[in-house]
Amino acid sequence: MPLLSLEGITRFYFESGVLANDNVTFRLNKGEIHALVGENGAGKTTLMKILYGLEKKDTGKLYFKGKEIEIHSPQDANRLGIGMVRQHFRLIDEFSVAQNCVLGMEPVKKGIFFDNGKALALVNRVIDENGFDLNGSDKVGSLPVGKQQQAAIVRMLCRNDEILILDEPTAVLTERQRDNLFKTLNKLKYKGKSVILITHKIYEIKRIADRVTVMRKGRIEGVYHNTDVDESTLSRLILGHDFNRGTAPAPGSKNTGTRGESIQEELPVLVMKDVVLFPSGTHKPLLENINLEVKRGEIVGVAGVSGNGLSELEDVVSGLIPLTSGSITLNGRDATSLSTAGRRSAGAAYVPADRMRRGVSLDASVLENMIIVRRSEFFKRGIFLKKDAYAYTRKLLSRFVIAGEPDIPVRNLSGGNIQKVILSRELSVDSDFIMFSQPAWGLDVSSSKFVHDRIALLRERKKGILLISTDLDEILELSTKIVVLYQGRVTGTFTNDAFLTKEFIGDYMLGVAGNGN
Amino acid sequence: MKVIHDAVSIMTPFLLAAAGGLLTELSGTLTIALEGFMLIGAFSGVVFAHIIGSTSAGIIAGALASMIFALLYGGITYYLKANIFIAGLAANLLASGLTAMLSFSFFGTKGVIHFSDVEGLRAFHVPLLGEYSFMVYISWAVLLLIWFILNKTPLGMRIRGTGFDSETIRSIGLKPELYRLLSVLIAGFTCGLAGSMLSLSVSSFVPDMTAGRGWIALVVIYLGNRTIAGVLAASFVFGLSISLSNYAQGIVTIPSDFILAFPYILTVSAMIIYSIWQGRKKGVKE
Repeated sequence: MPLLSLEGITRFYFESGVLANDNVTFRLNKGEIHALVGENGAGKTTLMKILYGLEKKDTGKLYFKGKEIEIHSPQDANRLGIGMVRQHFRLIDEFSVAQNCVLGMEPVKKGIFFDNGKALALVNRVIDENGFDLNGSDKVGSLPVGKQQQAAIVRMLCRNDEILILDEPTAVLTERQRDNLFKTLNKLKYKGKSVILITHKIYEIKRIADRVTVMRKGRIEGVYHNTDVDESTLSRLILGHDFNRGTAPAPGSKNTGTRGESIQEELPVLVMKDVVLFPSGTHKPLLENINLEVKRGEIVGVAGVSGNGLSELEDVVSGLIPLTSGSITLNGRDATSLSTAGRRSAGAAYVPADRMRRGVSLDASVLENMIIVRRSEFFKRGIFLKKDAYAYTRKLLSRFVIAGEPDIPVRNLSGGNIQKVILSRELSVDSDFIMFSQPAWGLDVSSSKFVHDRIALLRERKKGILLISTDLDEILELSTKIVVLYQGRVTGTFTNDAFLTKEFIGDYMLGVAGNGN
Repeated sequence: MKVIHDAVSIMTPFLLAAAGGLLTELSGTLTIALEGFMLIGAFSGVVFAHIIGSTSAGIIAGALASMIFALLYGGITYYLKANIFIAGLAANLLASGLTAMLSFSFFGTKGVIHFSDVEGLRAFHVPLLGEYSFMVYISWAVLLLIWFILNKTPLGMRIRGTGFDSETIRSIGLKPELYRLLSVLIAGFTCGLAGSMLSLSVSSFVPDMTAGRGWIALVVIYLGNRTIAGVLAASFVFGLSISLSNYAQGIVTIPSDFILAFPYILTVSAMIIYSIWQGRKKGVKE
């Protein structure tokens, strides 16, 4: 008898007309790691939200230990020992890691007082046991996104949940952190816990899952034991057609011939000169003497482990944080003191890592999110040209293959479609310089391929691209030049040729190689 | 010295109302109904002191009545999802009308009701502090209690968490509405105390006797930078300026209106300086 079963779950969204779950049955055994896979919009997240009480089901039944149950809220789920780390995990920025972890089950002393010492001890023990690189007293808001996710996982482990749902947990983790997470999950499995792992990465399923349930377009494609399916069968099941990964063009490593052309004579679109970021109140500079150039037709990949200055680099190039010293030049124009808006008009576009907060306005419609950068074109003497705006939005929707309508709030779209909305908007202004930060984070195979193909295409159109990413595969696949950041310093700059290996760059990312100057 | 002594007495209702209001602000939904809560407290306080025949019982009754009123407001706002501003304004108007109506139907007047049998608030002399009405000491105890709740208890953590990000609170299985309602109930309690202090100190109920104190309490919360210590300091500034203007009338030739306006001028300047300072500190991020 399965520990938990969801039988015949159906969920239809009236607002968007999407049948997110169509008579879905999902069964979880005790002590197994069960992968739930499918493309963005396949209905995985909806199904898990129903299980976690965040979403209502239209029909279907839930059974836990053989008994029928109703889950109306996360509280109901928690009571049953079901915990979830969501894809866009939620933590309170103003609280410490420990406070976040114990929120809702706070240790008390003398009956009423919050016992911060005990909370810290508990959380630090869980952190140590699982080899996370965190401290319970760190304020969440001051941590980079990778560490925040670790904190979200730690929170669930602290709660001692029976069933752990992890939605894309490895998207922002480094390889070492991911290995540690997998070790943790295996340990938990042997302790008798059950894990539902939502993922797009076939490699991860093969490595850790006991069973796998494949979803596509709201339906179950099949349930398999890991040993019974191979990678190509899985990807065929997920995508519904044969998908050959090997043919994706890799401009960096494969088109080496084009690099010697006259591109180098061009004026660089981005020049960073001796850039230092050292805000008051920090002990050491977050960015130290960064010198970097992006020319037309170049994809400069910035690699590094999260927490080593990647997000800060994103912030200073986008203009959200002022430099301590140094200068930034965009298209030959000094942009050091320009605002974000100023940098946009100087010919810069920006696809941020934090899609939900910076990339889109979640409650605004698809149309509003898309036209915002070209809004003046849709007004004539102060009158909004509704028809034109709709036509324009529909054009972008079809050109970027986005499943959505102009009127629906962006919030209702899936993660992959949200990223495509951002992409369509940023590329709609013909900027010479585009910065991408973690562009494929949390996207499924086909969406990330779409994004990567677009980036490659931009290079062919002689745009200058800065690609900031913790995903080394992504960097190696796309970049013409690779810059490695470690503790806020450039530890190495390489031309991406066939001889460059992951291991070689990895040494620079971990500060083993390179002197940092 | 007399000026400061008076200031401390005058500031007490502001302090109480603002301390409760601060909780609602930190839970993410500042209630503008403090004025109404206070008025209900003022009416019930003196009336029940008259009926029961005890001033202390009057204070407790005033606080309870105000909490019941706050429960009504909170229920409508957080569970029936009324707009907090509309509900807050409605609560203030309702409190004014309700007290007038009850006053007329039970005591036959819409004007001042005086209860000669109700003993005023007793004063105590405490060495080093001086002689104050016992409500002043209670207000300090309440302030300390709220500080403890906010900073040292799980409840306070959840209230603050709700204010920072209510959706996170919901996603971990807690109910933001509950913490907001609890904050409003505590605000009802402190405003009830503040109101009964007003009416019992003169053994009378005067229509709309709160005279905007509940609104000023809102200013006090922001002037106090949304902290307990700040609220204490800001209340004192208001108490002091009112106390000063009481003395200045007759001594100085500056129009008293100007002196009375001083706290508001101070508030506006403080808010401007504060926002500039915050803006500098954060840089331009987000």
